[in-house]
Amino acid sequence: MLPHVDYVRAEGVAHALALLDRHGAGARLLAGGTDLLVDLRERRSAPALLVDISELDELAAIRAEDGALHIGAGVTVAALREDATVQAEFPALAEAARWFADYLTRNKATLGGNLANASPGADFLVPLLALDAAVTIAAAAGDRTVPLDQFLLGPRQTALGRGELLREVVLPRSAPAGQAYEKLGLKHGGAIAVVSCAVVMDVRAGRGARVRIVLGAAAPRPFRARAAEERLEGQPLSAERAEQAAALAAGAAQPISDVRGSAEYRRAMVQALVRRGIDAAQAAAVRS
Amino acid sequence: MKDLTASEFAMVGTRAPRRDARDKIHGITRYADDFSLGGMLYAKVVRSTRASARLVRVDTSKAAALPGVRCIMTAADVPHNVLFTDVPGQTTVVGALRARTQVLAADRVRYFGEPIALIAADTEEIAEQARGLVEIEYEDLPGVFDPVEAMHPEAPQLEETGNVISRWRVRQGDVDAGFAAADVIVEHTYQTPFIDHAFIEPEIGVGWLDEDGVITIRVATQVIEHFRDVANVLGLPHSKVRLIAPFIGGGFGGKEDVTVEVYIGLLVWKTGRPVRLLYTREESIITPTKRHPFRMRYKHGVRKDGTITAIEAEFISDAGAYAYLSPLVLLYAMVHSSGPYRCANVKVDGTAVLTNNTPTSAFRGFGSAQPAFGYESQMDACARAISMDPLAFRERNYVCKGESLPCGQPVDHAVLLTETARRAWEALGPSCAAPPGKRLGRGIASTLTSFGRIVWLHDWSAAWVELQMDGTIMVRIGVPDLGGGQASSLVQITAEIFRIPMSSITIHIGDSSLTPLAGTTTATRQLYMSGSAVHKAGMELRAGLLEQASSVLGVPAAALTMDGGAVVQVDGAKRISFQELAASCSRSGRERYRHSVFHAPAGKVMDFETGQGRVFPDLTFGSQAVEVEVDEATGAVRVTKLATCYDVGRVINRNSVEGQMEGGAAMGLGYALTEEDILEQGVPRTPNLMTYLIPTALDVPDITTIVLESGEGSGPWGARGIGEPAMVPTAPAIANAVYDAVGVRLTQLPLTPERVWRAMRDAAP
Ligand SMILES: Cc1cc2nc3c(=O)[nH]c(=O)nc-3n(C[C@H](O)[C@H](O)[C@H](O)COP(=O)(O)OP(=O)(O)OC[C@H]3O[C@@H](n4cnc5c(N)ncnc54)[C@H](O)[C@@H]3O)c2cc1C
Repeated sequence: MLPHVDYVRAEGVAHALALLDRHGAGARLLAGGTDLLVDLRERRSAPALLVDISELDELAAIRAEDGALHIGAGVTVAALREDATVQAEFPALAEAARWFADYLTRNKATLGGNLANASPGADFLVPLLALDAAVTIAAAAGDRTVPLDQFLLGPRQTALGRGELLREVVLPRSAPAGQAYEKLGLKHGGAIAVVSCAVVMDVRAGRGARVRIVLGAAAPRPFRARAAEERLEGQPLSAERAEQAAALAAGAAQPISDVRGSAEYRRAMVQALVRRGIDAAQAAAVRS
Repeated sequence: MKDLTASEFAMVGTRAPRRDARDKIHGITRYADDFSLGGMLYAKVVRSTRASARLVRVDTSKAAALPGVRCIMTAADVPHNVLFTDVPGQTTVVGALRARTQVLAADRVRYFGEPIALIAADTEEIAEQARGLVEIEYEDLPGVFDPVEAMHPEAPQLEETGNVISRWRVRQGDVDAGFAAADVIVEHTYQTPFIDHAFIEPEIGVGWLDEDGVITIRVATQVIEHFRDVANVLGLPHSKVRLIAPFIGGGFGGKEDVTVEVYIGLLVWKTGRPVRLLYTREESIITPTKRHPFRMRYKHGVRKDGTITAIEAEFISDAGAYAYLSPLVLLYAMVHSSGPYRCANVKVDGTAVLTNNTPTSAFRGFGSAQPAFGYESQMDACARAISMDPLAFRERNYVCKGESLPCGQPVDHAVLLTETARRAWEALGPSCAAPPGKRLGRGIASTLTSFGRIVWLHDWSAAWVELQMDGTIMVRIGVPDLGGGQASSLVQITAEIFRIPMSSITIHIGDSSLTPLAGTTTATRQLYMSGSAVHKAGMELRAGLLEQASSVLGVPAAALTMDGGAVVQVDGAKRISFQELAASCSRSGRERYRHSVFHAPAGKVMDFETGQGRVFPDLTFGSQAVEVEVDEATGAVRVTKLATCYDVGRVINRNSVEGQMEGGAAMGLGYALTEEDILEQGVPRTPNLMTYLIPTALDVPDITTIVLESGEGSGPWGARGIGEPAMVPTAPAIANAVYDAVGVRLTQLPLTPERVWRAMRDAAP
């Protein structure tokens, strides 16, 4: 059962920021509510006021500007899934949206909610980190842009300060053509990741370039497996090297054991998925 | 009395739209929760947060002081703080005792989530808040969470009579001689998990005191006969409690034992006000009952020619903290233990044991599903061990009509297993090449499941069928409709008998005071029992009406039939409408209605020493074939094709039969691949649908349903039950397909990616 909580529908970002300012720590932003309402119901969070930003058009746009794609924090997963630019230029992100939750949830859940919630298994953090995304944070004092890696402080911890709002995700449009997102769930519909990974790379003269390998649900927060990346960066690509990189990624994982799987299995699956991701990204890079 | 024959059927076997379908699709159907009354209180149950503890202190004073709280009850406030589940014919330590459950924990809790107190308040929020204010002091007691450990004499004891609550055995022939005669012996130990019924509608009811002081409870239940249990707890005459079952959002055995009705009854009795109690999904998952985990050691002896020379099996069932129906579930498992196969030498021992886990009880298949995973995995392994085709090996051993199962259960009706297996297998079609990194495999399973209650329980169902003065028909029968179309099928049977459209028939169901009692919607018995009761009452009324028409029309009854809402002369011009006929009955004092009781054939109690004898009135047989795709790297299994084929005797409603077959296979797929209630030291770790994983539309392939009609079965016009049988073969068929794909035999359900991955890794050279 949901606890009693006051509710205001924000009229715009400025209004939302003003409300956050006025109500301080007791106020929480409500986007799709697919994380927040669960938290409220389970008493993990007890705000006094919900500021609903789910109807704000200014947060729901995807636009190309200054060599970057700006994806509003309020863009739903369903909208993200259908966006032509995302599909063409950021297939790793499109793939994460494809296997995200289920039809109903995707119509409500937003990109911003996924990032702000910062769960260790959040799907979008993984490809976005690999795509060198930045986020724009809005505050009464003005906007600031920070790299996603710095936005993400730990499990369920972000750089969002009191009175701040995540406005958009900024993706540089010169992303490598080789992209893959791999997710292992325990079923096909609505599964939370046991582990996931994103691999992004170019292939230049048979060598890896701009390689990013990011692991999800394999540590308290998604992270770049840098040793694995280095094994491919500037190196001639081969099956053997791909396997070595995958093993390095598995070595870098700090998985836990829970009802979805043991740490041992998760680690092995990091290796399997990274291997698969490298092969897929490499093939895509070579194709383009 | 002459029955209608298949060639005459106008309604039976058609896809007549279910009469409840439209309202359900439009969201109009009023389920138990779609109902409220003025001044209604909202109830909550205060539950144990320990799996095994003594209650030192339960202090409700702070909760009671909260404004809006109207009533708090603890064990001391319950007139008779005990619920009984009758377990007839038990021969064990429990003896003739009746299985007991405390309504509210008095001084000891035996499982996590056991009810300790009840709260009724003006709003759900207040009740919830009050729940947090009840102070409970526990003294932890050692618990036991594994049934094998619980069997040790030194293990913590849940009851003074010991943890072993039931032992059954089956003996036939000489297994030692049988194994000596075998060329190959195949032995494995199988394990099945706790699973949740996961019905879409959690446990829910609304109760009130009517004008006559009758406690009336509109509740999602499979068993309106629980009005007696509620009355016994309250110390009231049985006629002072009335249960009404509205349309129910799924039961699957989870609403077979008493759930919320007894708490609602207590709070209505205490406050005199209407009371609603709805479980959250979490409560629904952590509270009784679940499916029994079974540990099953199976040993089969086979000769190279495909003869099964001996079967030995040992079952250990985790009953959880209270017996509920565990002894009966185990008995069902014994009867089904060898599968639908002939074998001269059989020895099976079963034990049900109490632990501090969530209590287990009825679940679709009722003890026939766990052994099926064992014996059908064994059949596959045996066939492979003698290099015989798994289908051919089964065909050699299927039991035939006129024979008996190894436990002496006679097989009275057609056994079309060969046809079901071949048809299901063929329906998979030609194989394709596996995608890279994946392996494809196919598997089959043939199973049997009884329908109808145990013959020495003397089952019956009663129906009232009435011709109204306007020529329409009314049926009254105390059947709870769980969503399987139980009521609609009865209407369809009535429509056949009277040759009127289903829309000219009204049915009243599920009221323990106002509809004739028809027994439980369990044991796949309603089409069989209540279908037969309606058939009996309907045919008797039909005969009476034909006689009346005969005297009015001056035509012999044998020359009359019914058509279009009238009695008409066969090949003749004379006719009398139902409306005129009803008026004529009234004038002449002939009854326009019939109340008939259908008694299932009764039988003697089985021999407890040997397990020999008839236990069930009838059996349903069928097969499922599946194709799976196994991910070599992750162990993930995807079912790509699934075909299910049953002999249902006679189809009453084709859509409903296929719906049961599809739903059963989908449920079986969850049992096979994802569903598991994980308990750690008795604490549920998967208390919501994010962690307890039921299949979604993306996990279930298009299912091919093939329906055979032998015309032989104990139900109306030869119908057999399909509700429970439909889920039983799926898990072993999938496990056999996984073996076919990757060459490893998984012996523990569910086949999670991690289990498959480990098995592949361990088997790798
Ligand atoms: C059935 C189901 C399936 C799911 N499956 C998946 C899955 O497959 N993968 C996955 O990653 N997640 C999954 N989730 C989790 C959830 O859907 C996602 O994390 C989703 O993206 C959250 O977005 P939302 O708009 O619903 O956020 P909300 O619940 O509205 O908000 C989440 C948090 O973010 C804050 N917030 C929201 N928007 C902003 C903003 N613009 N600025 C600052 N803070 C903000 C809120 O205050 C809150 O703290 C699932 C959830 C459900 C219920």
